[in-house]
Amino acid sequence: MKGGWFRGYTIFYLIFLYAPIVLLPIFAFNNATTIAFPLNGFTTIWFSKLWDDPALHQALKNSLIIGCSAAVISTCLGVFASRASSRYAFPFKTPLMGLIMLPLVMPDIILAVALLTVLLGIGMPLSLFTVILGHVLVCTPFSIAILSAAFQSLDQSLEEAAYDLGETPISAFRLVILPLVLPGIISSLLITFTISLDEFIMAFFLAGNENTLPVYIFGQFRFPQNVPVILALGTILVCLSIALLATAEYFRRRGLAKTGGKGTGGFL
Amino acid sequence: MTSETSTAADQTMIEFKDVHKYYGDYHALRGITATIKAGEFFSLLGPSGCGKTTLLRTIAGFEGISSGVVMIDGKDMANVPANVRPTNMVFQSYAIFPHLTVEQNVGFGLRKDPRSAAEKAKAVAEALEMVGLKGYGARAAHALSGGQRQRVALARALILKPKVLLLDEPLSALDKKMREQMQMELIKLQRQVGITFILVTHDQEEALVMSDRIAVMFEGEIVQLADPETLYRRPNSRKVADFIGTMNFLPADILSEVEGKVEVEAKGFGRLTLDAEQVSVAPGSSGASIGFRPETLTILFDGQTATDRESKAEVVEVVYYGDMTYYDIKLEGTTEPMRLSMRNVFGRPVLDIGTQTRVAWSPGALVLFR
Repeated sequence: MKGGWFRGYTIFYLIFLYAPIVLLPIFAFNNATTIAFPLNGFTTIWFSKLWDDPALHQALKNSLIIGCSAAVISTCLGVFASRASSRYAFPFKTPLMGLIMLPLVMPDIILAVALLTVLLGIGMPLSLFTVILGHVLVCTPFSIAILSAAFQSLDQSLEEAAYDLGETPISAFRLVILPLVLPGIISSLLITFTISLDEFIMAFFLAGNENTLPVYIFGQFRFPQNVPVILALGTILVCLSIALLATAEYFRRRGLAKTGGKGTGGFL
Repeated sequence: MTSETSTAADQTMIEFKDVHKYYGDYHALRGITATIKAGEFFSLLGPSGCGKTTLLRTIAGFEGISSGVVMIDGKDMANVPANVRPTNMVFQSYAIFPHLTVEQNVGFGLRKDPRSAAEKAKAVAEALEMVGLKGYGARAAHALSGGQRQRVALARALILKPKVLLLDEPLSALDKKMREQMQMELIKLQRQVGITFILVTHDQEEALVMSDRIAVMFEGEIVQLADPETLYRRPNSRKVADFIGTMNFLPADILSEVEGKVEVEAKGFGRLTLDAEQVSVAPGSSGASIGFRPETLTILFDGQTATDRESKAEVVEVVYYGDMTYYDIKLEGTTEPMRLSMRNVFGRPVLDIGTQTRVAWSPGALVLFR
């Protein structure tokens, strides 16, 4: 009896989560401009319309530039912070780490407005660069969360063993620490890239007259005839996100297997 | 490997001169002064938190010192970083690099070695053979058992032919059988390579079995530095006596002291005279007492007579161990039970609780604490 309830709950839960996403490809391939059942017929016209839209190309290019930059910068910052917090004791360590992680729970709109106020105040023109700044702020806590786990599972005597065997601090980091945290770094790069690619509020506030992909999508909803095109785009993005997360998880698990650790947590 | 000359064996390898170490307000090392000879198996023994690991890490260079001098082979090690010191360490966790194979681990320290790749590979194979891991070279390091990791750590350190090998509680993670086997192997290995070994351990038995000399540490100080036999037979304080093996303490009164010889009286033993070397130097807080090991008292069976002195006693507890029987006895006129051990030889009965018996003892085996 109890099992039946749980099963029903689980099924309902999964439908609630994923049914809207399943609708995306269904209507993306539907030969009608209205989003309603019954389906009209199969078409790939919406995808070819995507292909021909120069504004979309520009938005995609912007999003890729922002995503790659934000991923690299926030992962670097994440490496520094995780290394420092796992290796050294310093005053106010816990509150400091807490402050760094704060953007994770702070409403993005507050951050975006605050950042916009500051940028306008110091007279910095809005551009892709300002969006990158905003995205680094949002992505860094995720990067630290992933990399802290990687750094903390390292036995501190590994590094000492490398010194002991004649390596300098720099070569010890390169030969021992880096290979062991590399899966974490790759995982962090992929996840922060995905977050940046999806991010809307920061991009909307800070991009000036440049569009990112989510901002472009939002703009297109003003034109009802374009909705199926957006659904087609959404379909591609969902597939891409799943592929990226799966790759990130693959690297995370491979890192664990390499060091003989046990899989706990993770995203998939 | 190399034939050490007898003069080389007496050379000083490591010298501590009044070494102090503070962690903030915490005084971890309190004036360590000691020398460790070249080619000896030296142990730092003490309870956890006594500073033995800190002292070992000052030799390796992982820990700076607040004041004093650490010399290795005649050179002051101040400002000499860990990566250029002539020491190698076997870590408590073994610190085997999990992303490398056994071979790559053992050959890790040879990266800057000018020898050819083939010669290095040969050195790695020899090192693996020396620790009994022939043919394990291609295995992944994380797939090894605890004992095998330990051997890889040893091979990885010894391949560099250091002047000093530092071992930080290397056997504490192994089970009893494995530990005893590794103790023997380490002793053999040390004799074979002739390198100075410095072992940190909290296990007094391990220290006694393996070491040429032992430094007993309490609260950041070396309280006694001696060979295992001296340490066991003539501990210089009640604390050391308590830490190493079992020692009985019998309250005693000092009657007179003439030219180092001390005349004492103790209930159960009567009057006796002890030589100067039997008297511990370090004064204790409580009154004087006579200390003796369980095996220095022997139960006399019917018809046996003592060659030296004998006392009357009552058996109050019997613990049978197979090869040994432990008795708790009360010497005549005393209230505290004393532990006594007897080897179980064929035909000798195990006494019952309550048996009145006689015990033989010799004043030369006793120690006086005061």
